[in-house]
Amino acid sequence: MRVVIAEDAALLREGLTRLLQDRGHSVCAAVTDGDALLTAVAEHQPDVAVVDIRMPPTHTDEGLRAALAMRKAYPGTGVLMFSQYIETSYSAQLLEGGAAGVGYLLKDRVANVAEFAAALERVAGGGTALDPEVVSQLFRASRQRGGLATLTPRERQVLALMAEGRSNSAIATELVVSGGAVEKHVASIFTKLGLPPDESDNRRVLAVLHYLGSPA
Amino acid sequence: MADDFRRVAGIIVRAPLTRRTVRELLYCGFGGIAGVAGFWITIVMLAFGLTISVSVLGTVIGLLLLTLALRLSRRLGALHRRLASWLLRYRVDAPPKFVPGTGILGRLDKRLRDRAAWRAVSYSLVKLPVAAVQLYTAATACIGLVDITYPVDWLIFRHHPGGPVRPMVAVNPVPFGGNFMIYSWPGTFLVAVVGAACLLAATWLARAINAGDRRLVRALLGPSSMAERVSELERTRTLAVEDSAAALRRVERDLHDGAQMRLAALAMNLGMAREKLDDDDDATVRELIDAAQRNAMNALADLRDLARGIHPPALDNGLPSALATLAASSAIPASVTADIGTRPAPAIETIAYFCAAELIANATKHSYANQITINIHTERSGVLRLEVTDDGIGGADAAHGSGLTGLTQRVSTVDGRMTVSSPPGGPTTVTVELPLKA
Repeated sequence: MRVVIAEDAALLREGLTRLLQDRGHSVCAAVTDGDALLTAVAEHQPDVAVVDIRMPPTHTDEGLRAALAMRKAYPGTGVLMFSQYIETSYSAQLLEGGAAGVGYLLKDRVANVAEFAAALERVAGGGTALDPEVVSQLFRASRQRGGLATLTPRERQVLALMAEGRSNSAIATELVVSGGAVEKHVASIFTKLGLPPDESDNRRVLAVLHYLGSPA
Repeated sequence: MADDFRRVAGIIVRAPLTRRTVRELLYCGFGGIAGVAGFWITIVMLAFGLTISVSVLGTVIGLLLLTLALRLSRRLGALHRRLASWLLRYRVDAPPKFVPGTGILGRLDKRLRDRAAWRAVSYSLVKLPVAAVQLYTAATACIGLVDITYPVDWLIFRHHPGGPVRPMVAVNPVPFGGNFMIYSWPGTFLVAVVGAACLLAATWLARAINAGDRRLVRALLGPSSMAERVSELERTRTLAVEDSAAALRRVERDLHDGAQMRLAALAMNLGMAREKLDDDDDATVRELIDAAQRNAMNALADLRDLARGIHPPALDNGLPSALATLAASSAIPASVTADIGTRPAPAIETIAYFCAAELIANATKHSYANQITINIHTERSGVLRLEVTDDGIGGADAAHGSGLTGLTQRVSTVDGRMTVSSPPGGPTTVTVELPLKA
């Protein structure tokens, strides 16, 4: 996997580089601001970029803005936002154009190296990796829109994990149930959300988008 | 002693030749004319206004005339201040601007109670004797200037050798004794000496009377001392409020770039170390690393909450963004509508944000509500209005809830207002109004 890192804190930038290289990925460039990120992505065409949200010069959301510009210009490149904070408006902007190839994690999550690397690989492969915090915020925000009210607590749990970008087998491991049980829950979710049988992947994305409140 | 005397005498005699004297004399002229004119205009309008307004029929016209006189006095005051600043280099701040009332009666009432205007009126009235002396001083200076040129006039314009002797009339600056006639060239030197004396006298007279006028201008046309103090206090308070907002933002940034970043790096390094351990390595080491990592993560979570309490980072992108995150983390479903025109000052945004946070927390704790709505918008009058409504049980009391009382205090640091409407049975609406600038 070819990765570009944009992070202004040297300690984290070098740590991330080392972490990814240790796992056999290639870090094409490690830059410190949004403009450099766009240049590096144009030059190296990576599979995925890890982007800090707060970077110079204004230290507010230039990472997010660079990531949005990058998604427009290179839709095939995954973006994993990486921040000390989860902001609802950031999640909403990031997910506006669909949840494929998008991730948004708290910096804390890097502590679990294996999970972090798995999340990054998912995003690089066009999947989704959302921090549980993002999911719970968006869930609260979408709570009033109904539709989801009919889901059982267990189904809601499954849907939340789907929104984080997990596969059925990963969900089964997480919830300590059989794969068949997860499939049953997923089918029930599709029915309750009124998603007709189709190619299952498509329905999965639609369910998650519905859950996240995106107009899909 | 003799040296001192000579020095003082030198100053006195040379004074008429300085620029300052020219300015002071010009001030006597212009200021005197403006003073006399202002006096008559003011007194006529006041007299008419007062007499007419006493009669039943003329009340309206009389009051109109009075308010017109008051407005004009403010203008005259401004003219006098400008003259003093231009010619005397004596600057006096303008009194606070007039704040019009609302409605016809409100406007009238405010006008008639405009203290600064009444003080300007009193200046116009007191100025008359001062203006008289100033005009006399200016006239004396003019006479002095004319008189001092007599010997030259005599030779150039009046008498050529062999011509007839035409006597010259010399103007007497003193208001008694009458003017006198000059019949010979040497006599004109006497007039020139009188002219020089006039200039000298006018110089020092101008300084004396203008010194008095300065005091009047300061006392009657400047801001009253209390108003001055209040505006000074408002200015320093704004600075203090903005300073503390900036300081808090700096603290948050330092935390973000310092402790939080280091802890995240620490957690990452511990994670990498944990990865390197094989399953057959010492279990205690693994447990210790796990514990260290948990501690680092907890510290990170604590710091994140702390930093949010100091300065929520989303505020950098404006209130709507910050409030959206706030609403999304509320335990009771909360929706936000926002319409922000001009962006408020950072200190105001911070106050509005923390008000919203506190009100949501209050509603969560006490209201048993199912839904909270947050509305924030700017109004054309320069007010930021925050409304937090819940459909709970009501009965909130601003006087007896420590949370609401604290908010009232916080809001009042920038002259904001908070009103609570919470009938028993609900719904509760708390409205916070803040100026756009601290």
